[in-house]
Amino acid sequence: MVRELVGRLTALDPQAGAAVQVIAYFDALVAQRAGLEAIVRGAAFLARCPARLVDDERRLRVRATPDGSTSDSPEPAAPHWPAEEIVPGGPARVLLERPSGPAELDRMILERAAAAARTVLERTRTRVREPAEILLDARTSENERLWAARRLGLNPDEPARAIAFPDRPPLVRPAQADVPQDRRAGVGPAVNVLDLPSSWEAARTALRLTAEGTEQDPGPRVLHAGELGPLAVLAAHIHPGAPADPDTRALDRAAASAPWMLRTLDTVAAASSLRAAATALTVHHSTLQTRLAQASRLLGWDVRTPAGRLRLHLALIARRLHRNP
Amino acid sequence: MTQQSRVGPPPPFDPTVAATLAVVHETMPPDGLTPERIPLYRAAAAEVRSRPAEEFTRDGAFAVQERAVPGPQGAPEVPLLICRPTGAAGPTGVIYYIHGGGMVMGTNRHGADDLLDLALDLGMTLVSVEYRLAPEHPHPAPVEDCYAGLLWTVEHAGELGLDLGRVVVAGTSAGGGLAAAVSLLARDRGGPALAGQMLICPMLDDRNDTPSSIQMAGLGIWDRTCNDTGWTALLGDARGGPDVSPYAAPARAADLSGLPPAFVDVGSAETFRDEDVAYATRIWQAGGVAELHVWPGGCHGFDMLAPHAAISVEAREARLRWLRRVLAS
Repeated sequence: MVRELVGRLTALDPQAGAAVQVIAYFDALVAQRAGLEAIVRGAAFLARCPARLVDDERRLRVRATPDGSTSDSPEPAAPHWPAEEIVPGGPARVLLERPSGPAELDRMILERAAAAARTVLERTRTRVREPAEILLDARTSENERLWAARRLGLNPDEPARAIAFPDRPPLVRPAQADVPQDRRAGVGPAVNVLDLPSSWEAARTALRLTAEGTEQDPGPRVLHAGELGPLAVLAAHIHPGAPADPDTRALDRAAASAPWMLRTLDTVAAASSLRAAATALTVHHSTLQTRLAQASRLLGWDVRTPAGRLRLHLALIARRLHRNP
Repeated sequence: MTQQSRVGPPPPFDPTVAATLAVVHETMPPDGLTPERIPLYRAAAAEVRSRPAEEFTRDGAFAVQERAVPGPQGAPEVPLLICRPTGAAGPTGVIYYIHGGGMVMGTNRHGADDLLDLALDLGMTLVSVEYRLAPEHPHPAPVEDCYAGLLWTVEHAGELGLDLGRVVVAGTSAGGGLAAAVSLLARDRGGPALAGQMLICPMLDDRNDTPSSIQMAGLGIWDRTCNDTGWTALLGDARGGPDVSPYAAPARAADLSGLPPAFVDVGSAETFRDEDVAYATRIWQAGGVAELHVWPGGCHGFDMLAPHAAISVEAREARLRWLRRVLAS
């Protein structure tokens, strides 16, 4: 009885309303609020070849074969396999493992599978947290955080660190792994996996003390929390949205007066001597002296004395903390 | 009626099963099998009937033969499809399989592929029997054909290379009911000793009035209307009455003791759920051995209809594990 029906079903005939059947299949999955795995199973079943859903950003990887097994494959996706982006331009895709190129119904199956997956991702976006988010949240149970660590490929017995970026989700890396240097980042200390929420907090503080490294926002692009010392205490006291202190306002005024101002002051504050600062800025020592005299007038204190340089250093840091809430 | 008022809404189908049903229902409604449509359904199955025996060799893993063996007294011969593993050195265990089809359709080809998967994994011989069908051949023709085929198989164990300590009867749907009936016959007639009975979503109760049969009317596969068609074909006016033989409808058996270990699986969203659960329960109550699986959201025959569903994968694994266990003991 059932077998006869299956006999028909396994031979989806492009000429005989198979497109309607593909639509009916995925519409029913969506109506049932089926998950991503069921969608991938469906694609594999209808296409009669293994199917995948991959999302490198979410570290999501689902694979199913037509007989329903969900074993992963070490084989990387080939560029000529038929694929469909779940959100146009986004990182998530559904693919069919077709070494010999697309079959007739593949386009239709992939389109409907991608549309079904899109509804799942939209539905779950507000509820489902990324593994890194779970791992870095101290309010989450330890079991759940250990699960998240394994999902991220971390060994729960080895230390790891959190890394904060201004414009993208947090990264968690093993302690020995390299820290990305190509973008602005605050780097947390290496800690036990279950202490990662504290590493994350320190990483975010370090991030607030980084700068773009440009003329208008000079300073380090990558900072390790371990380098901050008492600056972390200062950071804790300059809250986001707090009114700027007088020295920060003075720095902003000075910055507006000359294009070289902020970079010159930042270099002087960080250098071991005025001579070293002049070398770093590639200006003559006397030019630097002239600039600093002008800056001292605008700021209202002499930046050439040791106390003045410390005040300058702190003012520059306070300005960054105001700019990076 | 009192039962009907106690029945809640139908349990939801597993999402993958629901999606596959949506495709199936494009061409075949859940309550499609009425007496007039039996020829139509049989015609749809003709393609499977004509599959040559060589298609079951699994690239030479099985030696396949077809035998027409003596049927019940005065009845035609019974066609058996026999698949023996070519690699087996000594006698093998045997799965004696009885196909489904609501008592009104099917052949010894139907469902054989699924059982061959199991036979291949376990190095067993598969014997698939073809029995006369209702309504042309009402009870007891189907069950007596099945029993005759089993007797011949056991009597020819030497010739076929079978180990009589490892004989399992198995059946799907109507075949599951017939496998249960054959087990009752073997017990009551002092027939062959069976190592187990594997009852896959078996059709056991002609009364067709359990809560699940009412709950699932008009839904899934093989609903109450189809079930009525099948049982009426087998039993005629006697269906649902006081005098139905347990060898026609094993749910009618007063005594379920002394049976071989049973494996029963069924979906939670199908007509047969309650009669199958009750059968396993009554075996335990009689002091027997049974393993029962109720797969959530499964429709009738879900593992064949939607082999890619997660519950289908697990259901197949459960059958394999059970067979391994009963054959090892």
